Amino acid sequence: MNDTAFRRMKDLPSTHLLGTGTPMCAGCGGLEALHQIYDVLGERTVFVNAAGCMTLLSVYPFTPFRGSWLYAAMASAPAGAQGIRDALDILLAHGRIRTEDDLQPVVLTGDGAAYGMGLSATSGAIERNLDFLYICYDNEGYGNTGQQYSAATPHAARTSTSRGVHGYAGEKKDLFAIWAAHRPAYVATVVGAEPLDLARKVETAKRLTGPRLIIALAPCPTGWDFDPQDAVAIGKLAVKTGIWPLKEYRDGQIRHTKMPHPRLPVEGYLKRQGRFAHLFAPQRNEKLLREIQSGVDRYWQQLEGIRAAPGGGGACT
Amino acid sequence: MGSNEKIYRIRFHGRGGQGMKTASRILGTAFFLSGFEIQDAPRYGAERRGAPIFAYVRAARSPINERGIIRRPDLVVVADDTLLPIPAAGVLAGVDEHTILLLSSDVRAAEWVDRIRFPGQLILLPKLGETEDPPGLRFLGATCAGAAARLAGPVARDCLEASIHMEAGPLGAAALAENLSRALAAYDAMASHAGCVQPATATSADDYIAPRWVDLPFEQASVSAPAIHGTLTSALSKTGLWRTLRPVIDYARCKRCWWVCSTFCPDGAIQVDSAGQPGIDYEHCKGCMVCVAQCPPHAIEAVTERGSQAEEAS
Repeated sequence: MNDTAFRRMKDLPSTHLLGTGTPMCAGCGGLEALHQIYDVLGERTVFVNAAGCMTLLSVYPFTPFRGSWLYAAMASAPAGAQGIRDALDILLAHGRIRTEDDLQPVVLTGDGAAYGMGLSATSGAIERNLDFLYICYDNEGYGNTGQQYSAATPHAARTSTSRGVHGYAGEKKDLFAIWAAHRPAYVATVVGAEPLDLARKVETAKRLTGPRLIIALAPCPTGWDFDPQDAVAIGKLAVKTGIWPLKEYRDGQIRHTKMPHPRLPVEGYLKRQGRFAHLFAPQRNEKLLREIQSGVDRYWQQLEGIRAAPGGGGACT
Repeated sequence: MGSNEKIYRIRFHGRGGQGMKTASRILGTAFFLSGFEIQDAPRYGAERRGAPIFAYVRAARSPINERGIIRRPDLVVVADDTLLPIPAAGVLAGVDEHTILLLSSDVRAAEWVDRIRFPGQLILLPKLGETEDPPGLRFLGATCAGAAARLAGPVARDCLEASIHMEAGPLGAAALAENLSRALAAYDAMASHAGCVQPATATSADDYIAPRWVDLPFEQASVSAPAIHGTLTSALSKTGLWRTLRPVIDYARCKRCWWVCSTFCPDGAIQVDSAGQPGIDYEHCKGCMVCVAQCPPHAIEAVTERGSQAEEAS
């Protein structure tokens, strides 16, 4: 990170590449992350979009991109990226495009595709060591269709398919660990509310070759039920409460890029979202609140245990 | 169905997030509980919270054969008066002398009649404690449904109440209570206009006039495929129309820390000039107010769009 172009907030790009006028909701945390990512990635990209909210970015005849965009079915975006990479490689080999005209295939999907339907195709792409970037905007549910639960939905959150008093009974799948277990070139978590951390990670990913995968937590005013103006505040709280650890995997090592000190109680994060309102009213659900807090505590305690152990440094097992 | 069957055709116009879909469901269910055949459906495209949307309800005593959006409404309910000047919102599409327009507005009815030259009867729905803030707008749908039910006439108060229990019950006790009180207050407030909506006769398939289609020759895929060759064409969509609140920068207090507002703006609608001064692109700012919440010196203020539009007009 010593050679990063992003040392301070001031170093962030002041001009933005992504076009305005998209149909994303006001206050969309996914769009916020995407526009920041695009500024660092640059124009020489081809986006491959699986079905989801961001499919709506490029609806004929509109596009906010400066380059190409390809639509793929929910499970197929990494396969689409493979096709584009292969086509570019053939054009390069035949001298039909110059090396400097080469493009970077970028998969863009929501958590529905990344955590669920598209996971097998992603696994295959990493296995084939496909040179591509994967960006998942994770709003923890099928947001485009009305926030049904997905494999990324956190424990106890209310979704349109988990409307009972206990919310979603399952646990959020650890996609970072699943991706990292494939030992790709790079895996990272980011959030638009921490733009400097995000810019450094995208910068790192851009310099590497091979499969590089980034999960952006995407606070969702519509699906999570909060006032759009709180989108950044909630993203910051996700980091400060430790519920969304900012980390990266590279060369077999996991490094946390922002340690929450002091780590705030998760309640502060949960209370600001309607999808957790049933944990506080009509009466506090101490059991579920405890479950969520102890899940976060366990994560960070385990991490401290690994760091304290001899030779420990967050090795990926 | 005989040609003299009457159908209630009611259209709700609002912005995504103002509960027009809920309004159509509440009213549709209330009609159903009153013994009617009904259709209720929202209609929106790819647009999101803040964008103009509409929903519609048909109700009749016998099976309804009409399909699709309502072109000749008997009642048009408008939750947000800033939609009226927007042609794309289509608020006044197909209205005539028999149409009732129920408008939620602070502006006097006479002034609206003058402004939009509405041919039918215009009734104002006084703003019953509504706010400009998105969280305060979520019960607007119940208000509109309650008022529409009374204007239509044949929906009894207890059917409206039962409908809200069905539609808003799953949202929890607090939301249910709020929806109930808003809808019933609006129902009561419309007592003097009860039953003023005149359902029109059902249209017969025999009267259907086919659209004047233009036949296009079959083109090669390179021509007919929906490929976008331009870049940044999204900017042609003026999403500034979604806004109910407008962020305004007080440049006397602005510290030129553009990297905060310009980076956090989800839409990239805050540009930075060569002097490091941020400027908001009002043609595209959707009014999320993230910049207002994040500005370190609190130099960005949220003002109502209605107020700023009035100021600009004067």
